[in-house]
Amino acid sequence: MTVLGVIRLSVLTVPRNVSLYRRGNEEFLHKTYSSYGPHYVKPHVTTEKRKELIESGEAETLKLIPIKAALNYETCSVFHDELTRKFTNHVMRCGKKALARELIEKTFEKIKRIQLEKYHKTPEDQKESIIKDPVKILHDAISNSKPLLELTPVKRGGVRYQVPVPITENRSLFLAIKWLITSAKDKDRKIHFPEKLAWELLDAAANQGRVVKRKVDLHRQCEANKAFAHYRWS
Amino acid sequence: MLTRYKFLLTVTRNNYFLRQLSLESPNVFAKPESRCRTVEDNPLNHNLEHEGRFYVVPPAVCNQLFRFGGIPKGYEVQAKTFDETCLMIRKPALEVINMMKVADYSRPIVKYVLFGERGAGKSLTLAHILHYALNSGHLIIHVPWVPDWMKKCKDHTRSETREGFRDTPLDSAAWLAHFKTQNQHLLSQTDLTVTSNYTWSKREETRSGSPLVELVDLGINRIKYASNIIVALASEVKALSSSGRCKTLVAIDGFNCFYNKRTMIKDENWKIVPPFQLTVTEAFINLVNYNWTNGSVVLTADRLVWSGNERGESDLPLYQLGKEAFELLDPFIPVHVPCYSEKEFHSCMDYYMERSWIQNENGNTEEGRSELMYLSTMNPYQLMKICGPL
Repeated sequence: MTVLGVIRLSVLTVPRNVSLYRRGNEEFLHKTYSSYGPHYVKPHVTTEKRKELIESGEAETLKLIPIKAALNYETCSVFHDELTRKFTNHVMRCGKKALARELIEKTFEKIKRIQLEKYHKTPEDQKESIIKDPVKILHDAISNSKPLLELTPVKRGGVRYQVPVPITENRSLFLAIKWLITSAKDKDRKIHFPEKLAWELLDAAANQGRVVKRKVDLHRQCEANKAFAHYRWS
Repeated sequence: MLTRYKFLLTVTRNNYFLRQLSLESPNVFAKPESRCRTVEDNPLNHNLEHEGRFYVVPPAVCNQLFRFGGIPKGYEVQAKTFDETCLMIRKPALEVINMMKVADYSRPIVKYVLFGERGAGKSLTLAHILHYALNSGHLIIHVPWVPDWMKKCKDHTRSETREGFRDTPLDSAAWLAHFKTQNQHLLSQTDLTVTSNYTWSKREETRSGSPLVELVDLGINRIKYASNIIVALASEVKALSSSGRCKTLVAIDGFNCFYNKRTMIKDENWKIVPPFQLTVTEAFINLVNYNWTNGSVVLTADRLVWSGNERGESDLPLYQLGKEAFELLDPFIPVHVPCYSEKEFHSCMDYYMERSWIQNENGNTEEGRSELMYLSTMNPYQLMKICGPL
């Protein structure tokens, strides 16, 4: 049976009223259709993981199992960071990944220059408090910008109320990244995006600035609309 | 600190200027010796044991030599971030410096042509040689980057003295200011004088026997005559060197731009002006001629003087200089500026880690470094770019 035959058969066996996507606890959606059969396993890309597999002996079994191809973005580079990758994807427009990556690289360079300038000017005892690692700044900025609750419109008795609801980890991360990029784009024409984004990230990492203000405003509104929380269920 | 002063004084007994420099601006920025650094900041004393290590160029020297250009812009930005201007002591620079030390100056000038791939370090090698020239009392004629005159000309007018030629008043005056700053210590000595009479207009003339600095000042103040003054200055410097009153270093970055087919300058009829129709070109072609003594000429044959498709496939001097320039310069000493060796690469990485430029802790691991070695192909410029976001 050809690969194509396998796909057609698996699609036919799925009932029509069931979605082809299943939501699971893991980060990404499970697809019930795939170019690969169900017995294919994911590849292990990092050198560290490969060493572990060889030592534990699992590599011997994996030699006999068919393995999926690695995705385009997966790399064995020791400098790879997952959150930076996600951030770059959100910066990307029209599929121009190379441009998005260049912008992020320039942003990180700019962050380092700003922080190093500050570092050289501070007295010896306060030097340790200055974070110069741009990846750490990005992580801090995003974690400080993540909202804990969201407002959704719920219609009761002809009136739309803004009801505070809990937010998933994914959605929270998405909102934080989106707000950071949007605020970085809101700038004077002559200022370049990497420079503005660098300043936004530094502000958010220090728990100040526009994005953190937006998150805090949202939390305040949720607190104000606490009374409508039960509209979620009634 | 005091012992270092004494050391500087003994080495350069006859160089009064250097004494002034060391006493006025002590190198308080000196960091301790390490695998990637050396305390020796006088290029007169650099040798192979310092190879691959960085030395700090004193800020006063930086300001004097490179205020109007000489260090590439990207490197200048790095120097500002690192709070110091450091140069790596590499073999090509040591070679040229050593050859300049042992050359026979009673013979016609020796010409050195630096060549190498993009980002290998030609301009910074030239910067190191300039620092040596300053410390050893040379008169410096330095063109930071020739295409700045050809491609980004600020102003050009029709030449009044030569038919069909074009003057570049603003650029020429700026260069004369650069010449004056670099040589301020030597120009203040009275025995550098003009040898012929020059008449610029009915009321303005420069008599023979007047100090050279007067000629330079006239060019800075009267922009109209600046281009012609550069031509006059070139022949004066040749005469002064040949008579033994000063030793000269001519350093031109991007020399092959003079042999470009065209510039970005257009005359009144909107016709493109070739480099040989600019007045200033004559000055530097004259300086590179072999009919004078007591001087050295260091040039770079750089691919980047061209743009886009004209850049060609090879970095080698014959290809980049072309037939005419090669015949003018021949015989010359070609000096290859290669990419980093493994020792230099690790030294550079150590320096970046020390200056907190590489924040990722994998900058110190074997795996991280081998990855960067592979990605940058040991090219200094590429390494600088790659380490930017890390």
